[in-house]
Amino acid sequence: MQRAAKCALRLDLSRAFCLEVNVNVCMLKSLPPPRDEEEKAMLDSMLRVDHAGEYGANRIYAGQMAVLGRTRTGPLIQYMWDQEKMHLEKFNEILGEHRVRPTLLLPLWNIAGFALGMILTRIEGTMSCTVAVEESISEHYNSQIQTLMEAEPERYTELLQVMLLKNFVMMKKKNRDTGLEHDAESVPGYLLLKTVIQVDCKAAIYILQRI
Amino acid sequence: MAALIRGLRAGRALRGLGGVAVQGTVSLQCSNVRRGFHRAALLRLASDSKSDTSVPPPSYHEVHTAGESSSSSAQGESSEDAQPNTSFQDQSGEHGEDYETEEQLQARILTAALEFVPQHGWTVEAIAAAAETLGLSSASTGMFNNGAGDLVLHFVAQCNAQLAETLAEQNNQVQLGQAEAKKTAEFLKDAVETRLRMLIPYIDTWPQAMSILLLPHNIPDSLKHLSTMVDDIWYYAGDRSTDVNWYTRRAALTGIYNTTELVMVQDSSPDFEETWAFLDNRIKDVVNMANTAKQVQATGEAVVQGLMGAAITLKNLTGMNQRR
Repeated sequence: MQRAAKCALRLDLSRAFCLEVNVNVCMLKSLPPPRDEEEKAMLDSMLRVDHAGEYGANRIYAGQMAVLGRTRTGPLIQYMWDQEKMHLEKFNEILGEHRVRPTLLLPLWNIAGFALGMILTRIEGTMSCTVAVEESISEHYNSQIQTLMEAEPERYTELLQVMLLKNFVMMKKKNRDTGLEHDAESVPGYLLLKTVIQVDCKAAIYILQRI
Repeated sequence: MAALIRGLRAGRALRGLGGVAVQGTVSLQCSNVRRGFHRAALLRLASDSKSDTSVPPPSYHEVHTAGESSSSSAQGESSEDAQPNTSFQDQSGEHGEDYETEEQLQARILTAALEFVPQHGWTVEAIAAAAETLGLSSASTGMFNNGAGDLVLHFVAQCNAQLAETLAEQNNQVQLGQAEAKKTAEFLKDAVETRLRMLIPYIDTWPQAMSILLLPHNIPDSLKHLSTMVDDIWYYAGDRSTDVNWYTRRAALTGIYNTTELVMVQDSSPDFEETWAFLDNRIKDVVNMANTAKQVQATGEAVVQGLMGAAITLKNLTGMNQRR
């Protein structure tokens, strides 16, 4: 039963991936009203973390643009930033609709993200950092998707679509950047950096779920 | 008397065992078993104290099974000692639909107790008086572990639910185009006024209620009710912010509500005119502050841009911008 739902979602997904832009349209009533306190709390914390993640990604790109805006990579960063802006819009809508509290740490996230973006442009192996970050975020999304699937796939179909889409996009990016990662592995201290980043991501997710 | 109290305690313990969520037809099975237990305990009680056999069973029944007829079932007990299950089928068939959960019973008692608040204050006596009017023993106040706190929290929850309903209704009308959308300041003022007007019947004893809500073990619940109410008001006022504004708006409204409540408690003007004037002024203050903040931000941005322009001009003039 669950596998059938999963297959159906994957089919939807591959179609949806080609029409990433149109996901915006179907978000009007993405979640059924929560059945009880527990479900509301679970959905709340999931949506809060995801929203904070999108917000952070937005700020990171803003930081990168601030430094590299006028160079060759400027347009590429701008393009990726625009994609992230779309995701943030989506999550803003979901939050408003379902009366989910945004995280209290948003101002902190704002500054931290911007600073991180600026720093990332300076160090070598930026792409590898991005890959490390996206790996942990991907893992996080996977666990969220699993939770929703285990609960009841039909209730959360549309939310799952959004998450699977995000996951898919990140996986594609990761495959693209894997080549770069191999180069970056030659940079000394890469493993340390990667571990630090992954631990940071996990800690951030843990805190954001609660505050 | 002691036997009665023992019986009540046993009944409560059994109820706790029986579980909290008893709704729908599945619960009929459980309720049958529980009634079986109740009957068995009752019979032991009756055989224990021969002298007051006639008195405890009816009141025991009344306390715990409000939907049933008391004396007839009590008398039917002694002949059904051998087979406690079979004869209860038709009893439960008759009265199954009237069986209510403990929460519903508690809610009924507390709602009735509100009428006795002007007389007894926010105390256990009011609950006891209400229990008696509902035909229950006044010892049923033992159901409420928190006593007066339960009563006050129930009242607050009831008022908040009423407010949410009113706001949803107004929202519906606006959506259907039957009414015009109010401006934010006016909407907030009306919502807070509506909510505070629900306190008017109990305004004399409200300070006592407020102090009960401030007791340490009641603070988590009262804060939860307050924050839910404020969230409701802002949601229906149209706030869909997802940044730090979410917090600042709710904090501001909480402050306004609490201070207005305090003013209302010691207001003696006709129909609390001074309170509404105070509320109006506070909301205007908050709106002004928000506007000022926006202006400051805009001015700040303009100033920064001006400075950057001046810096670039300076660099140009001194020739520092040229590439060599």
